[in-house]
Amino acid sequence: MISFNAEQRFIVTGASSGIGEGVALLLNELGASVIAVARNVERLSAMKAKAKHPENIFIEPKDLAEDIENLPNYVKSLKEKYGKFQGLAYCAGIGGIRPLRAVEKETIQEIFDINYFAPVFMAKGFADKRNNNGKGSSIVILASAGGVRGEPGMTEYSGSKGALIASMQSIARELAPSYIRVNCVSPTLIQTQMADEIARTYAEGKYPMGLGEVSDVANMVIYLLAEQSHWITAQNYIVDCGVI
Amino acid sequence: MNRQEFLTQMQDVLQTDEELSYETALDDLAEWDSLAVMATMAFLDKEFGVKTTMKDYKEMLTIADIAQKAGL
Repeated sequence: MISFNAEQRFIVTGASSGIGEGVALLLNELGASVIAVARNVERLSAMKAKAKHPENIFIEPKDLAEDIENLPNYVKSLKEKYGKFQGLAYCAGIGGIRPLRAVEKETIQEIFDINYFAPVFMAKGFADKRNNNGKGSSIVILASAGGVRGEPGMTEYSGSKGALIASMQSIARELAPSYIRVNCVSPTLIQTQMADEIARTYAEGKYPMGLGEVSDVANMVIYLLAEQSHWITAQNYIVDCGVI
Repeated sequence: MNRQEFLTQMQDVLQTDEELSYETALDDLAEWDSLAVMATMAFLDKEFGVKTTMKDYKEMLTIADIAQKAGL
């Protein structure tokens, strides 16, 4: 049985909606303290209002796409405010389908900023041993099945997630001697706000078990953050009911 | 960068809570491993334009030896 205590602090990014919200709420329900990071303070407050132990949810409004190189200092400032961290669940991300003919360097950059650069620099901040609890600390990054299998219109998104998965494997092996684990979870389309109409239409009929739900992904993330997965690192888990 | 700033920066390069001084022996630091050496190489290159090799670090004993490479 997975459980945490309030002294185990987890940074959850993208915590105001979708999978990030699901991870934040489940961590909190299981006893952990959650530092909830997202852009929109109202939506973060709405998430906190749903929490089982709202006193253990700490809201930190922040746009991770801004001043990305300084994210390690941002993690440090959170550590100084709350204490060392047990885990990081990076669930912030943007999607978007864009056919190759519409791809521009700028549009690639925009996707890579939040889907690739920000998680790498958040991991850099978390991995600084002055900021984490050492042995047993865990990073889980939300990647995507699109990172291992490109579909039409996903040049930018798949590129960002594929790069992310590859870099996280490298980071995992770099941190393994310190017993700090790094894993990716890669869902396909999940019923969230990010799954817009185009995506739903595209996915219709493709999923033998129906579209996935937030809890399907959140449970995997929680397992990888918890002590129960202490021998698992450098992996990318695809959560897709066998589609890809 | 003055000598005090150099120490502060080395604190970050080595990601150590231990108070560093110029006399700190590198071998006494748990953080002084091959990754720390590579991070130091990148730091000297970026901040001082000084290129070093792994071999250089075999002869270094203290923080002062690293500072000397940086010209401080």
